[in-house]
Amino acid sequence: MHRALLPGLTSMILLAGPATAADAPPGASSCTGCHASKKVSDSVIPRIAGRKAPDIVTLMSDYRSGAWPSSVMGRIAKGFDDRQTEAIAAWFAAQPE
Amino acid sequence: MATRRHFLKISAAAGLAPAVVSAQGKARVVVIGGGFGGATAARTLKALQPALDVTLVEPSPVYTSCPFSNSVLANLREIDQQQFRYDGIKAAGVTIAETSATAVDAEAKTVALADGNRLAYDRLVMSPGIDFNWGALPGYDEAAAEKMPHAWKAGAQTVLLRRQLQAMDDGGLVVLSAPANPFRCPPGPYERASLIAYWLKIWKPKSKLLLLDSKDAFSKQRLFQNGWAELYPGMIEWVPLSQGGKVTAVDPATLTLTTEFASHKASVANVIPPQKAGAIAAQAGVADRTGWCPVEPVAFESTLRPNIHVLGDAAIMGGMPKSAFAANAQAKVCASAIVKLLAGEKPQDPILINTCYSLVAADYGISIAGVYRPDKGRLTDIPGAGGTSPLEAVGGLRGQEALYASSWFRTIAAETFG
Repeated sequence: MHRALLPGLTSMILLAGPATAADAPPGASSCTGCHASKKVSDSVIPRIAGRKAPDIVTLMSDYRSGAWPSSVMGRIAKGFDDRQTEAIAAWFAAQPE
Repeated sequence: MATRRHFLKISAAAGLAPAVVSAQGKARVVVIGGGFGGATAARTLKALQPALDVTLVEPSPVYTSCPFSNSVLANLREIDQQQFRYDGIKAAGVTIAETSATAVDAEAKTVALADGNRLAYDRLVMSPGIDFNWGALPGYDEAAAEKMPHAWKAGAQTVLLRRQLQAMDDGGLVVLSAPANPFRCPPGPYERASLIAYWLKIWKPKSKLLLLDSKDAFSKQRLFQNGWAELYPGMIEWVPLSQGGKVTAVDPATLTLTTEFASHKASVANVIPPQKAGAIAAQAGVADRTGWCPVEPVAFESTLRPNIHVLGDAAIMGGMPKSAFAANAQAKVCASAIVKLLAGEKPQDPILINTCYSLVAADYGISIAGVYRPDKGRLTDIPGAGGTSPLEAVGGLRGQEALYASSWFRTIAAETFG
């Protein structure tokens, strides 16, 4: 349960119990349509599996506000509130890099 | 993990023909159709719950992808770059039945196969894609498609249309006919018009493309039209429904397309006909009078037949378009929900994303995105999210989106087929 050591996310992960892939939070499974779950050669779209959860949360927040310019991510980030974004970020942080 | 789950105990073998093929004691999921929906569903089910007995029914050993097949028409790709085999899915522990499903018995929960076998299931996933409404457009049938290709199922038809374009004299008229909604890949006809014009501009610059449309509006319309004006001035003429764009009959012998107002004789005719869910859907009783399959928005279970889930282009998915991205996203949600249902648990309400890239030229990409959730029994756009690329592109945005488009394709192919 190394993922439970992530600062700030401990309580949520304990509530979620032992995560199985079936328990991915709402929205998470769509992300891998572009952000590959395993390395794909010759893709310019970054992978997010194994990235730090707070970094994903910050980026999504900046995409949503427009503080960080984007092509498509701003449009997608607006579909998720803070709580949903945090759950997705924690889930990807726990996936193998 | 598996021992803690309460799998359905199956006693269905009693009373069935001896040809029932199944390991007893494991929950069985049969998936019909090995496209972006079905292949993803089969693979994800096995990944989420290795104890499941998952069989993918798909007659073709090779899948030919429609996404990026317009680039084949424009000579930017070869057809074999569109093709994927099922080895990765087999390696993931999915049983492949390389035959077609001929009949679904929703009462007995069995699928009859063309090879004479019969598969019993606890849950059935149908991702049969589209079939054409032959006869809905007078003059257009399977024989006519050899003269006026649809190229809306990729493969031999794509190669045929490309060959016709290459054989056309410079100065020829390419006529493309687009159907009314709903149909597979809403921006597809307009990307196709764009990439044919891209190719014509290089190789046959005196030629023109006439796009006869049974609609007055289409996906990413202003982005496409701005792109056409910028890149292919005077080459593409779009005729909407209200200006007589609806094709009412075709004559394959003379390559003539007739609308309410006029007849157009084509040098090359690409007829994208009206569509419906793949034929097995109607046989199974999961298609309604529209020809498409209504489903609930959490596990995508048919509202007409229990224990049958329908994905992708065949299904009525509320606000979600018929795209490969959507089929892949739906398949992952459906697989997760089926694992829960088989364990006697309630699936969570999902959120789904769709992102569709189109190429207006090889290095000019545009996109549309949406985020969806169940609301009042259907998948509904989350307000404030989604939308298209900006009309004014700053910096290298169009080039960047073209790069994202090809990266997306590599990713979705790897995610689906391994």
